[in-house]
Amino acid sequence: MAKYKRQFFPGTTTPAKNRRRYLDPKVKLKQLRDVPMDDVVRIMGHRAPGEAYKSIHPPITEANEPACPIRKLVTPIEGAAAGDRVRYIQFADSVYFAPISPYQRAWMYLSRYRGVDTGTLSGRQIIEMRERNLEQVAKELIDNETFDPALTGIRGATVHGHSCRLDEHGLMFDGWQRYLWDDKKKEVMYVKDQVALPLDKKIYVGKPASMSDLKKRTTIFRADGVDMRDDKEVTDFYLRIHTLRTLGGYRPFDVKGE
Amino acid sequence: MSTPTVDYANVPLPEVRVMTHRLLSAETTEKILNDIDVIHNLRQINMSGESLPRTINSGPAKGLANNHTERKVIHVNGHEVELHCLVGAFYIELSVTDEAEMDKTVDEIKAAFDRTIPDGYTIDVGRYSKYRPSLHDYRSA
Repeated sequence: MAKYKRQFFPGTTTPAKNRRRYLDPKVKLKQLRDVPMDDVVRIMGHRAPGEAYKSIHPPITEANEPACPIRKLVTPIEGAAAGDRVRYIQFADSVYFAPISPYQRAWMYLSRYRGVDTGTLSGRQIIEMRERNLEQVAKELIDNETFDPALTGIRGATVHGHSCRLDEHGLMFDGWQRYLWDDKKKEVMYVKDQVALPLDKKIYVGKPASMSDLKKRTTIFRADGVDMRDDKEVTDFYLRIHTLRTLGGYRPFDVKGE
Repeated sequence: MSTPTVDYANVPLPEVRVMTHRLLSAETTEKILNDIDVIHNLRQINMSGESLPRTINSGPAKGLANNHTERKVIHVNGHEVELHCLVGAFYIELSVTDEAEMDKTVDEIKAAFDRTIPDGYTIDVGRYSKYRPSLHDYRSA
């Protein structure tokens, strides 16, 4: 029998190729910026930089774990072994060609990271994890190519804006204005943390990418970019899922030979 | 039904709807309002957009001042207008009597927007808001 080779996403168009890249854990994503770890911690707002991690249970080595084959099989992630709290970071992605969209974020998180709980909504994606692991993942996600300072927002609550028109500087709308445009540096700076508590210092997250660059990087199919109907394989894939789900729900006896 | 309090009520005057491609800053909103305010035959201008709360309305920061840079008082023809939103749409009601007059006014509005809005907009003429009471206005609470 041929060895099973993992597949990620069908299609030949740019968004389809980008989806495959983001989902494949063997692909190392490009690092576009380097936001210091302390600043990432500040934006998340769960603890002050330098503060010890709070714990919700004693380290696993000190606890009396019951004899369990699954516990023997699974190596706990660092935060779980230490008994860290579970904390979160949430990203909102604009419909105007953000590098990635919430649904692919979920696929990507589950494909690339261990110890993750993630939830998808129309415009935002939450990731929950043990605190020290979350901080590493958050820094990676802010630094790499899935983040754009103008079109990706770090928003813990009141995320409204992903489907709104952009403002005059090309930034995604945010009623709480967690980030501002610095006209001198031509960069985006965070002035509030993800739940809009004011930050002690401005945190710069870099220059937004140009629209032509974003159109090459995005995973979003759009009528004014790459239409999903122009990619036959993707359309067929979704039509097949749609047909099978409908039949599975209403006429399961008609699903034959699939 | 009671009689209208003003003589122009119940008259479907034409309305110009302008949707901008970008949400406008307070500064641009002030500029465009001053630009169209001088045009004759305008009866009223309504604006809408994305709401900017005065205070943070939920979460751990609830109750703190929002301090949004675009939520401020602008000056239109000597009057103070307090902005509550990032404006993205204008509904301009025209007080005109014939089509020629309407076309002329619409052209003037277009020219003003061309001068002030670099990112583009769409403009439509029609009727987009209510001008007379309907059944909905008589429903009991």
